[in-house]
Amino acid sequence: MKKSTPYLLLIPALLFTVFVLVYPLVQNLINSFSDVSMITGRSGWTGLRNYEHIFEDTLFWRSFRNTSVYAVVGTALALVIGLGFALLLNLKLGKINTIMGCLYTVPWVISPVVAGFAWKWLLNDHFGIVNYWLASAGIVKAGTTWLGNPTTALLCVMLARIWQFYPFAMVMFLAGLQSIPQEQYEAAAVDGATMVRRFFYITLPNLKTVTSVMLVLGVIWSFNDFNMVFVMTRGGPMNSSMVLPVLVREYSFVQFDLGRGSALSVVVFALLTTLSFVYLKVISRGEST
Amino acid sequence: MKKTLLSLVMIVLALLVLLPVLWTISTSLKPLSEVNQYPPQWTSSTMSLKPYSDMFFYLPFSTYTLNSLIVACSSTVLTLLFGSLAAFAFSRFTFAGKQIFLLIFLLSQMLPGASVIIPLFQLLQTIGLYDTYFGLILVHTAVLLPFVIWLLYGFFQTIPREIEDAALIDGCSRLTALRKVILPLALPGIGATALFSFLGSWNEFFFALILTSSDSTRTIPVGIGLFVGEYLDVWNQMAAAAILFSIPPLILFTLTRKTFIKGLVAGASK
Repeated sequence: MKKSTPYLLLIPALLFTVFVLVYPLVQNLINSFSDVSMITGRSGWTGLRNYEHIFEDTLFWRSFRNTSVYAVVGTALALVIGLGFALLLNLKLGKINTIMGCLYTVPWVISPVVAGFAWKWLLNDHFGIVNYWLASAGIVKAGTTWLGNPTTALLCVMLARIWQFYPFAMVMFLAGLQSIPQEQYEAAAVDGATMVRRFFYITLPNLKTVTSVMLVLGVIWSFNDFNMVFVMTRGGPMNSSMVLPVLVREYSFVQFDLGRGSALSVVVFALLTTLSFVYLKVISRGEST
Repeated sequence: MKKTLLSLVMIVLALLVLLPVLWTISTSLKPLSEVNQYPPQWTSSTMSLKPYSDMFFYLPFSTYTLNSLIVACSSTVLTLLFGSLAAFAFSRFTFAGKQIFLLIFLLSQMLPGASVIIPLFQLLQTIGLYDTYFGLILVHTAVLLPFVIWLLYGFFQTIPREIEDAALIDGCSRLTALRKVILPLALPGIGATALFSFLGSWNEFFFALILTSSDSTRTIPVGIGLFVGEYLDVWNQMAAAAILFSIPPLILFTLTRKTFIKGLVAGASK
């Protein structure tokens, strides 16, 4: 066996990684300090001007805030809901568990674009079933707009995102629940611990690692999420639901300013790298305990 | 008694969770006049599969379907080929820099699409692969490879080395051992990985949206994503497209649920 064999085996995969990772990141940096228009191409260095433009743009700050809320609050809620479903499925009621387990996972399996479409149609002001029910119950006026209203648009997109993400949390929590040693519960039962106490003193501590891994992964993925916002609102109305990935497209391919788009990409990348290091810390801590 | 009550709760929750899907199915079966009708109805006497055939005539979904199949199948073949080579190297060799390479692949999984899209767009345009199948296939392969390597690495690790050593003693070369011994044993894992790859490409929206510009290369998610809002008057055909498009993922997932979840749980907790 030659020493070079493993490297030869890795070459194709590494070439692809260079193609989507190394080259774009370097090129992005170059772009971000240049004046690059999609129409006229690159026309010289501009120093930090692209970055200055971004940080002076109120839309950037709004998108940053939206993205953070969307990622952190959305993920946290999805985890809580996922845990609820996992506890329910862990009750072991027989065949119905398997069937329900499958049905509860459906939102996660379907494409984000389809999910966005389905929610957009469900929340349609005139012909959506949700508005009809709410109006019939006297909660809102008929024809209330949800996605077209700046105060509710982001919340609606977040709801759809939570709907897509909770099954992943559910699956992971269920696996976590099933790996908790039964003896712990038996001992607690002997000591006369109530169900609530058992939940807080046995179940939750045992799920700590999986929870932190899911939280960081979920925040990273939602931070990157372009699909749901683009399909449901395109960042509107009046940019009220704009998030960073959609803003990158807006700068680059709508305003044709590739330089500014690249600078924003670099900012997004820096934020995500920080989060990824947190993730690595979290999983390495999980391993050592 | 308690069991019946809990089962009932579970069924109600399932209906609640599936509400967006059920409403889309209902819409996909209704004629346009009843889609745009107030108050909205779940069922009607004139429900039919007509929107499902209409969308192939009035919207370019037959081309999109073909495009999606070509891109997803090619990306799957390429990721499996290159992914299994890399995973084999990681699971059967010790070499300098192994940990660093593993880390690179782990980190590139978290890669934000938004931070690489502009250079990829420029590059594909320069080399003439913008708005081509090949360009999109290359990008999908590259994006999916890291996770595929991780999945396959996990599956390969579960195959005992002794079996392979026996093959080596019998005079097989390393690569023959990979082909004749490891691959057949890892087949269930490879199957699950193939499905993951296929679905990853099939569902992928962001790169497909930005790296294509004509109907002859656009995939189905791009079609759906772009038309939402633009073809407001044909919600029933759009719903039909959304439902048809979701069937392959649902079938594939149901078939491989167990293997896939096992791999996922192992991958995320390791």
